[in-house]
Amino acid sequence: MRQPGLRVGGLTVGAVLRGVDLTVERGQIHALRGPNGAGKSTLLSAVLGEIPFEGTVCRAAGRVGYVPQRFTADAALPWTVRDFLALARSSRPAFLGTSSSVKAHIDAMLAAVGLGDAADKPLGGLSGGELKRLLFAHAVDPLPALLLLDEPAAGLDAVSTERLYMQLTALKAQGCAILLVSHDPLEVADQVTQLREGRVVA
Amino acid sequence: MLELLQYPFMVRGAVAVALAAVVLGTLSHVVVARRLAFFSTTVGQAAMTGVSVGVLLGEPLNTPWASIIGVCLLVALGLVYLRRRATLPHDALVGVFLALTLGVGVCLLVAVTKRFNIHALEAVMFGSVLTVTAADNWLLAGVGLSALITVALLYNRLMLQSVDGSLGRAQFGEQPQVEYVFMVVLTLALIVSTKVMGALMVEAMVLLPAVTARQWGRKLSTLVLLSIAVAVFSGEAGLLLSAAVHVPSGAAIVLMLSACFLGALVLRPRQQMPTKHYGS
Repeated sequence: MRQPGLRVGGLTVGAVLRGVDLTVERGQIHALRGPNGAGKSTLLSAVLGEIPFEGTVCRAAGRVGYVPQRFTADAALPWTVRDFLALARSSRPAFLGTSSSVKAHIDAMLAAVGLGDAADKPLGGLSGGELKRLLFAHAVDPLPALLLLDEPAAGLDAVSTERLYMQLTALKAQGCAILLVSHDPLEVADQVTQLREGRVVA
Repeated sequence: MLELLQYPFMVRGAVAVALAAVVLGTLSHVVVARRLAFFSTTVGQAAMTGVSVGVLLGEPLNTPWASIIGVCLLVALGLVYLRRRATLPHDALVGVFLALTLGVGVCLLVAVTKRFNIHALEAVMFGSVLTVTAADNWLLAGVGLSALITVALLYNRLMLQSVDGSLGRAQFGEQPQVEYVFMVVLTLALIVSTKVMGALMVEAMVLLPAVTARQWGRKLSTLVLLSIAVAVFSGEAGLLLSAAVHVPSGAAIVLMLSACFLGALVLRPRQQMPTKHYGS
């Protein structure tokens, strides 16, 4: 029997999460819902190993893709969109430029999220919705075993939201385990876990 | 002014400046991205403390490398260790180390100057590029080249961590060794450059090139080339200024770096990149 993409058991983080159990199977979209302060983003942070926790977190072997809720495109340096994507896709240091094959790969990634003309734009010049699409493109390439998304549709227009859900469905068909935090009702979700005050209520 | 290059000590100085400028100029944008300007100042002050320790332990006054490297690495690794465990903001923690290295350094300096004239330490504190030896340049070249190769190998991981720690962790996993290795490499590069820049001013060479180049560069590759150009130009111009008006080389180079920064700020292209946020 295949291991699930993610299994969380008795996850406790201070008073924010209290004994949360949750399993995300491969090829499944699992939505995590709940009011502000319910502990949804904290659960993702614990899964990523960013904060200390009690309990168990078992992730399937393989890459983890992550789209954060908050992201600051730092203006301290002049990153372009291509520079940013090259960091995780090129064996060459990004300041030495990208090979033609990596360049073509990045162009295809951007085209898939409707950012075909953004490769040479400064990262700090993208709108909030464009940044979300860029981070999604980064998170799903190469195909992750586990995909964590924190409010991925927030700030997206209707067309981009529709494209996002279609892409999530395609990723699910490829066996990716998807855990997404959302306030919105999700038709694409196979399973929904409702959190309130750090506990699973449904 | 170029006739000064007839003198072998000037040629050695010019080579030392070029080596330090290329190494620190290249590293400068990583330092800016990782918010390590104050860390670099702390390492410089720790080098001053290291000199005092070295002299007290009987090392030669002009090359107490063992003590400088020992003290600086202790401070750098201690800082990273505590930063990874403490809940204090990074700048507050660096501030503690900054005060500590200065306090210890001043106490030891007072003890040391009972044995030597304090002016003998000016070269260490403010830079004395004209007293650089061929051995100093070989050390600078060796450490500098090793630093550049190491950073090139870790570069993409270091920079993705700098853009966003969570993205870096998701992409490459938890890799504390990357941060430790970079801090060691940066510390060693700063230490071997202290003879050019002075312990108290070495931070300028690893900060100002990138923030100057930032005014013009629109992508990483241009930024790095401009940073190196600013560092080499300011370094060599500072060396000539230092020789011409008899001021410490570190101070003269800082003046030239600052002039480049102000010039770039005034003449920068109008379009500026905003900082965008999303999420609440």
